[in-house]
Amino acid sequence: MELKIRKNGENYIIDVNGEMDLYNSYKLKELVMKMLEKKVERFIINLENVDYIDSSGIGALIYICSTIKKMSLKLVITNIHGSVKKVIELTKLMGYFPIAQTIDEALKKMEA
Amino acid sequence: MSEHPVKEIKVDENSPLFDKTEMLHKEFPSDFRQIRYFTLLIAQTAPPDIKEINLLEQQISEIIKNAVKHGNKCDAEKKVRVWYSFSPEHAHIIVEDEGPGFKDLEKWNLFNHKRQNLLESQDFESLADYVSFRGTQADENDGGNALFAALEYWNGGFVFNQRRNCVAMLKRFPKRRHGVAVES
Repeated sequence: MELKIRKNGENYIIDVNGEMDLYNSYKLKELVMKMLEKKVERFIINLENVDYIDSSGIGALIYICSTIKKMSLKLVITNIHGSVKKVIELTKLMGYFPIAQTIDEALKKMEA
Repeated sequence: MSEHPVKEIKVDENSPLFDKTEMLHKEFPSDFRQIRYFTLLIAQTAPPDIKEINLLEQQISEIIKNAVKHGNKCDAEKKVRVWYSFSPEHAHIIVEDEGPGFKDLEKWNLFNHKRQNLLESQDFESLADYVSFRGTQADENDGGNALFAALEYWNGGFVFNQRRNCVAMLKRFPKRRHGVAVES
């Protein structure tokens, strides 16, 4: 799994590339925690290039989401598709996660 | 094997899901690094036209991970045994470890019951406390959500033996006619 960060205004977009599985999902958690230490307040996690996720990956997203919610900061997860969407649907967390279809929609949600 | 909505994890030593007749069998050492590789060895025997085969692989991987990590505590001396059978219309898996069994089963069912109530009432604020189950052996890398998905995915049943170190499950896939999946 590869993680890249890009900036759009005050928003930090994390592009996740590859599989979010039991061996590497902690990396996303660690990255977001480091960004929080650096006072980043607006996160977009882009899953466009993620075709596989397991319970560890979902767990990482839950941890990130709950941490950011507790701090009253902003997070949107975007471009969830294919089996990643299916796994989140199976855990019935589509309503729990702040989700947008596209990066543009995520940016609009950030401003709302 | 009757299909019924599964809302909790059951213990039933006599479930027909434990019938291993004509199932293939493999056993693996409890090597955490190789869980996905072991899973692949099993999933690759499934017919390629199975609906969402990578989802099937993921769901099998979760059960093997539980056996390796929580059952056998990654003790390489302890084996995980898997029986499996696939067709375009079903996936039947039995996974057994050498551990003490799933002691938190009742606790898990209670937790899941509360979680389902919150989901039904769409109380997402309270749901925040029920998105991950933390068993007594859980660590920070455990998602705590694998069995929620498992109960939804394995629509033909998901059942433990009496000792709770062996779990059997069945997935029924929609029948395909002329290349088009037909939901039954």
